Formats: sequence, C-alpha cells, structure tokens
Amino acid sequence: MDGTLLILLQILVAAAVCWINFVAIDLFFKLPEKGGVVGAAAIGKRIEEKGGGLHGGFMMGNIVSSPDASAGTLLASCGVFIAGIPGGLLAALLVYIGNRICHDPGYAGTTGCITATFIVYGFTLIGFSAAAFIAGMVIAILTIQGISHVHASRLLSRLWKVRRG
Amino acid sequence: MGCAIVAVYAALRVALESDTLRKLPFLNVLSFAVAGSIALIIPHPLSIVAAAAYFVGSTLESNAIASTFAGGLDRRE
Amino acid sequence: MPSPAPLQEDWIAVNEVLVLAFAILVILGALLTIRESDPFRKLISLGIMIGGVMPFIVDRGLLDVAIAIALIAPLSTLFTLMVCGRGES
Repeated sequence: MDGTLLILLQILVAAAVCWINFVAIDLFFKLPEKGGVVGAAAIGKRIEEKGGGLHGGFMMGNIVSSPDASAGTLLASCGVFIAGIPGGLLAALLVYIGNRICHDPGYAGTTGCITATFIVYGFTLIGFSAAAFIAGMVIAILTIQGISHVHASRLLSRLWKVRRG
Repeated sequence: MGCAIVAVYAALRVALESDTLRKLPFLNVLSFAVAGSIALIIPHPLSIVAAAAYFVGSTLESNAIASTFAGGLDRRE
Repeated sequence: MPSPAPLQEDWIAVNEVLVLAFAILVILGALLTIRESDPFRKLISLGIMIGGVMPFIVDRGLLDVAIAIALIAPLSTLFTLMVCGRGES
C-alpha cells in the first residue's frame, strides 16, 4: 500500500515537471503566436468560437498537428525508460524526422526532447522511475488537451501574454 | 495501467464531442496514451521506434484531417 | 470484479485491465465508424480503432509489424482524404 502511494506521488511530481518543461519550451519557441499549418489555425479559431483564448487555441492546434515539445517529452521519457540517455537521444532524432514529415522546422520538438532526456535522467538518479514520467506526461497532456478546451486555452493565452511582455 | 484508463477516457470524449475539429485534441490525447503504453508494455529498444512511428503517424493523420477539413490539402511550397 | 493489480514499475505482461481497456477502444472505434456519416468523422473513429489495435500487436512482440502498421495507416488516411477532400482552396 505504501509502495503504491509512493508511485502515485512520483507520477504527480513527474506530471508537474513534464508540464512545466513542455509548456516553457513551447512558449519559448513561440508556438502560440500563429497556427503553423492551415489545420492548426482552424482548430484555434474553432476553440475561440467556443469561448477560449485564440493564442491558446493556436498552441493546442500546433500540438495536434505536429510533434512539438510535448511529444518530445513523452518520447524522451520512453527512451530513458528503455535505454537510458542514448534512448532519449534516439527519440530526439525520431522526433526531428517526424517534425520534418509534418512541415515543421522542428526546433521545439527536438529541444524539448533533449532537455527532457536530461531532466528525466536526473530524476532517475534521485530515485524516480522513468515509467512515472511516461504516466506523468500522459496526465500533463490530458490537463491541456483533454479536460476543458476553453479553460486550457485561456490559461495558455494568459501565459502567452506574459511571455510576449 | 493509468495510460490505458486515460486512453479510454479520451476515446469517450472523442465519441461525445459534436464538432469535428474539436475532436482532434482528444484524439491527440489518445495517441499520447497509446504511445506511452507501447513503450511500457515491452521495454525493448525497437519499441522506442514503434512508439515514435505510431505517434508521428497519428499526428500526420490529424494534421491531414484538420487541413483538409479547413479547406484544401496542405500543399505549401 | 477483481481488485486492480498494484501499479508496479516493472510490469511487462498485459494484464486484464489493459486488455479490457484496449478492447473497449477497438469496439468503440468500430461502432463509431459504423455510426458516423461524415467521412472526416469516420476517419477520426478509425484512428481510435487503430490506436486500440496497436498495443495488442506490440504485446505479442511483433514490433516490426507495429512499426509497419503505424506508417501504413496514416498513409491510407491520406489517400482517402485526397479522394474525399472538399473545397480546393
């Protein structure tokens, strides 16, 4: 029972770390500025019609239509879980290829993957399991894309205003 | 196990969402959950490639669906 | 209803909860594909079904087959979209 509780706690901490990592990198690479492709812009506008924020909607559309830092964080956790640091770097290469397939420059995804590799590896050194980071990343993306589009996009728009200054 | 529950939740949200474009973020959550499960089920080096291939394929699919739905296939260049 | 197995960090085999969850995904995806009438919504529902099928293939150790399916399924979607694409911009 105690072990289960510990693992749940690890997953929650991992979710928070993953959330901060991918949102910070997506904001740094200006994903909420505009829809990268036609489909991303359309998703952003549709979310705004429902009552959400426009720039948060653009960022959600970009996450949907090309592998960005969130995908990088997930695949880096998978890579570290399976093969340590080399696995994470292999995942970064795959994310870069995937970004190029999806008409994307690929900076956000690759950078997010590399930083996430070292973050996850650092947390495994202090006793976290990398599997907790995979589950944590799934929970983190659930909070952005899966609970309420309106509130998530408003939150992201507010963060984007802070970033733009 | 948590990943599978999240996947079922995302599938239910996709099923219940009425607007076609707003289904796509939930489908993205589903593909995150499935890619995570693939890596958790078999810890083998090739499963990184499998998870990445599934994830990239699924985003490409969402991208194509959204772009076509918004008008015209995405043919830039 | 057996109590759910504790979440161990090194579980490998797919247990009953996972089989149930992914089976729900496959069945739900198939039923939705039948029910929807719009082609785009049909394709999204097919995406759910393929997402449910993948873990079963991976569980049998057929990772190469899984990679091949992960690459072929979006390609077939692309071709279908080329046929049913609406409104050339």
